[in-house]
Amino acid sequence: MSEKEVIKLDNVGVRYILQKERPRTLQEYFISLFKGGNHRKTTEEFWALRGINLTVRRGEALGIIGHNGAGKSTLLKVISGVIPPAEGKVEVRGNISPIIDIGAGFAPDLTGLENIYLGASVLGMSRREIQKRIPKILEFSELGEFINAPIRSYSTGMVARLGFSIAVEVDPDILIIDEVLAVGDQQFKRKCLKRISEFKERGVTILFVSHNITDVARLCDNILWLRQGRIHRYGEAREVAQEFFRQTGGPSRSGQRER
Amino acid sequence: MLTETTKEIKDILGYRELLRNLVVRDIKVRYKRSILGFLWVMLNPLLMMVVFYLVFSSLFQRTVHNYIAYVITGITVWHLYAQSTSRATRAFFESANILKKKALPRSIFPLSMVVSAVVNFLFSLVPMYIILIVSGASPLKGALQYLPICILLILTFTYGVSLLLSTVTVFFHDTIYIYEVLLLALMYLSAIFYPVQILPEGSMVVVNLNPLYHYINLFRACVYDSTLNPEVHLFYSSVYAFASILVGWTVYFTNRQRIVFYL
Repeated sequence: MSEKEVIKLDNVGVRYILQKERPRTLQEYFISLFKGGNHRKTTEEFWALRGINLTVRRGEALGIIGHNGAGKSTLLKVISGVIPPAEGKVEVRGNISPIIDIGAGFAPDLTGLENIYLGASVLGMSRREIQKRIPKILEFSELGEFINAPIRSYSTGMVARLGFSIAVEVDPDILIIDEVLAVGDQQFKRKCLKRISEFKERGVTILFVSHNITDVARLCDNILWLRQGRIHRYGEAREVAQEFFRQTGGPSRSGQRER
Repeated sequence: MLTETTKEIKDILGYRELLRNLVVRDIKVRYKRSILGFLWVMLNPLLMMVVFYLVFSSLFQRTVHNYIAYVITGITVWHLYAQSTSRATRAFFESANILKKKALPRSIFPLSMVVSAVVNFLFSLVPMYIILIVSGASPLKGALQYLPICILLILTFTYGVSLLLSTVTVFFHDTIYIYEVLLLALMYLSAIFYPVQILPEGSMVVVNLNPLYHYINLFRACVYDSTLNPEVHLFYSSVYAFASILVGWTVYFTNRQRIVFYL
């Protein structure tokens, strides 16, 4: 991997074992043991990603698009090291901050403030760092006095705002944004997009997953279009977005209205 | 495996703030909606002791020199073990949404269950010592010098079992329910509220196979009971602690990459 590259995937494949087909309880496990030959058949394999070659340079913003089940989230997981690849090689340089999506890692019974500690420490921050950044997190989240209420009383948008505010304070080398902007209101979304652009200018590498192709095209340098676990198109953002619109029937109505 | 293990230990140290927050979450969430709150940590063993005392004291008072002291020490150690391990069966499931988002040293989740049980344990030592003194036991006569190693061995054993259970549960959900029954059986076999002398002769072979029996008695020897021989229990306790952490870590370690796929 050269100096400028921060992410490199070499022929990466991820294999899932289909959930419904595998023995889940001891009883089923022993039954499948006694059936002998049938045992193999109960574990059906499914390649969520296959043959992925990808290089991301430092400071690049890469958009990842594709329909549901195309492998977008799996790609993010394998890059962030949450799951190991079944084949191929993943190289990543620098620390990764995933924007915690709705409620991930948050405890509903704890207050917003307590959840800041929890969420920030999931991202690897120390106690001192968290304390130093709390004023900024509070300011960005715009939660005001709600910060002392348990987050089970929050709306989805408020939780997403809290998650985003924490993640952008981590100073990551690589920022992963997975569909979180879909839940906030327009004003907060603009604020987030602005913050993301600032990150980009500072040389932070960004992986941006969204179904809103207009947003992706505006923010990203390149787009990776996944289809059924394989790279369908990869290239300059505007070109791939246009190609996408051509194939799927123009920019979606909702996409236009959001402007 | 050894270098990877040291790497994971280093990672856990790096994530000690997360460990702290997981423990805080565990404790706060559990008592947040109750009126007496954290006081239950101290009340619970006391109430259990009262029950055992009312039911069994007339039976065992003559064989056991100080029955109240005998029971409260047994319960205190038992709680530490039972709480950590039964909570640990769900350790990975409860934090599934964290595990699916961020690459972390995953063994931190069962560890947080053990640590929060330790916090409870330390608080329950207060009412325990009060009971010991009131009941006329003399805490200073115990083999106090062994107490740190005693607690360390209990924790090592408990963490080993917790790692094993949390990992196995991911692949076989039934473990949760099987373990509930096992735990009940283990409690009756651990000489918490009865003296081992009442058991039929020859059953000591079986009793010696129960790690909890040794941990409880070692603890009793440390905190008040000078009639017990701490060295014997120390020997068994060390063997079981070592075996437990070895098995637990190996099972966790060889499966840790697969855990996320099954959550």
